[in-house]
Amino acid sequence: MDLKVEPLKCTGCRICEFACNFHYDESISPIGSSLMFYREEKKNYYGLMLKREKTLLLGRPEGERILKPGEQIEGASASSKPILLRVACDRCAEEEEGPLCVRACPFGVLSME
Amino acid sequence: METINNYTGNILIADLASGECETEELSQELVEKALGGAAINMELYEQYKDRDPLILGTGFFTATFFPCSCLAVLTGKSPVTGAIGHVPLTWQVGVELKLSGFDFVVLLGAADKPVRLWLHDGLSDINESQDVWGKDVWESVDKIREAYGDDMIQTLLIGKAGENKVPLAQVSENYWGSKDSFGFGAVFGAKNLKAIAMRGLGALEVAEGFFQKCIELKNEILNGAIKGKSGLKDFIAPLGIDTSIKAKIESATHRLNACYNCPYPCYTFFKYREAPSVMAQTGVADPGCLTSGLAGLTRFYMLGIDAPRAMEKCFKVGLQPAAAAQILEKKGIKDLAAAEAALDALASDPVKPEGSTWPIAVNLPPAASIFSSAIPPKPVFSPVSDFGAQDAGQFWVRRQALAYTIGMCPICAVLTPEVSTEKIVELVRMSAEWDDFSVDKLNSILDNLIAKSSG
Ligand code: SF4
Ligand code: SF4
Ligand code: SF4
Repeated sequence: MDLKVEPLKCTGCRICEFACNFHYDESISPIGSSLMFYREEKKNYYGLMLKREKTLLLGRPEGERILKPGEQIEGASASSKPILLRVACDRCAEEEEGPLCVRACPFGVLSME
Repeated sequence: METINNYTGNILIADLASGECETEELSQELVEKALGGAAINMELYEQYKDRDPLILGTGFFTATFFPCSCLAVLTGKSPVTGAIGHVPLTWQVGVELKLSGFDFVVLLGAADKPVRLWLHDGLSDINESQDVWGKDVWESVDKIREAYGDDMIQTLLIGKAGENKVPLAQVSENYWGSKDSFGFGAVFGAKNLKAIAMRGLGALEVAEGFFQKCIELKNEILNGAIKGKSGLKDFIAPLGIDTSIKAKIESATHRLNACYNCPYPCYTFFKYREAPSVMAQTGVADPGCLTSGLAGLTRFYMLGIDAPRAMEKCFKVGLQPAAAAQILEKKGIKDLAAAEAALDALASDPVKPEGSTWPIAVNLPPAASIFSSAIPPKPVFSPVSDFGAQDAGQFWVRRQALAYTIGMCPICAVLTPEVSTEKIVELVRMSAEWDDFSVDKLNSILDNLIAKSSG
């Protein structure tokens, strides 16, 4: 089971980022999340990155892409680099009601498959 | 003092005249008295009224899991109405402000040269802003983000219209204008304040059980009046706007966007320098523009011109689009080049907007003039009776007062009868651990806000 992203359904509301942080430390913040939203605002180009154990999942408008360590993050801005330092998604394994990001997303972008 | 849930506990007092910033504690007493948002802004406005104040504040639920909790509010004396006005700031402003470490910012006096306020990590700096003074809004946002090294920084700023202190000037949220119908762009200009830049990487505490309650409310909203609808296009028929506009919007739409934690993506991105269907990243630097300003968009379409391009021009010079479009209509302008030239001229013209800018009949009581006229003037998808109200005008004023106080987007507020006063009271009670908070108490806070703002 892994978290999947359907990028074109995303509206950029960012609540998944905050839900994930809440899963880890019960506070509202974007800083400790395994998910990171990124945006090139003037181009309306935006998507999500997910830090996994060994890889980085890029949910870009063009579709999903998986990056291995050392590969360049393209199409993402400088402010998204700290994603590499984040804690890897633990799939909310211990959350009884399911992954918080999936529950928080209003648009069905995220699913656990 | 222990911090109140949902708040950082800090009020920033930024004295632009002296360049000094001080932080004060947000007291439990003030939150109990006025809760948040426009209602606390109003208290702070009165406290500092002899020192030329402009107040920027977040609502009680702003930046939390409460659905549609993106809101910040700017409160001051409007050069348009000559009275108090409250501007709802959506997009990412509220979340970025609160998580930068400040619930409220009191801007006092005027700087003697162009400055900007930079808020981050609980710190505040009043920095020189000569580098972007005279530059248009788009270039200024780019330069400010570059200067502070982060393109997720959120900005409130002015263009030429604000620098020239004209009443049509808006404070813009990043590149895309705002719901400012009060001319606060001119107030920024008079203060020599080019911009407020914010980055929110802090944290807030919330009550136990709050997350789950908010998820339930969000699901109720998604299955309620907004179900199956999205974008500005779906506002057109219910609001009684010329239905031919809908196809025009649809054919130019790239993707819809939602503000922080919003279940109804009304922000519509138009692409006109490349095909709207292009989703991949390309080399086109400025492919189009983003807006939630349906009144302005509609009025520009009614001139027979490419409305999103006219919106872009308004955003760059920092003009209120709906009021500007109304003036262009009176001038008989019917082509884009003439419209762009006229908009440039309006950025240094002291003309005032006139009355309602909606291209539909609007029947609101006088108290409505303290809130932004950019918000749909009636519930969009449901009758007022679904909100438990009878008088449509009174309902609108109270619903706006409520949204501006709790930190809910005021557009969402007129879309979502599922968000009842009772549910809000329950969530306030839970958050603040006030067992005696009641519908009556909330109503008296809203009465006070309306009475004090209406003078
Ligand atoms: S599944 Fe849980 S840990 Fe993984 S991104 Fe979602 S909220 Fe975070
Ligand atoms: S919550 Fe859903 S719609 Fe919002 S940013 Fe995350 S994935 Fe996108
Ligand atoms: S309704 Fe529109 S303006 Fe309001 S929060 Fe949602 S996207 Fe933003």
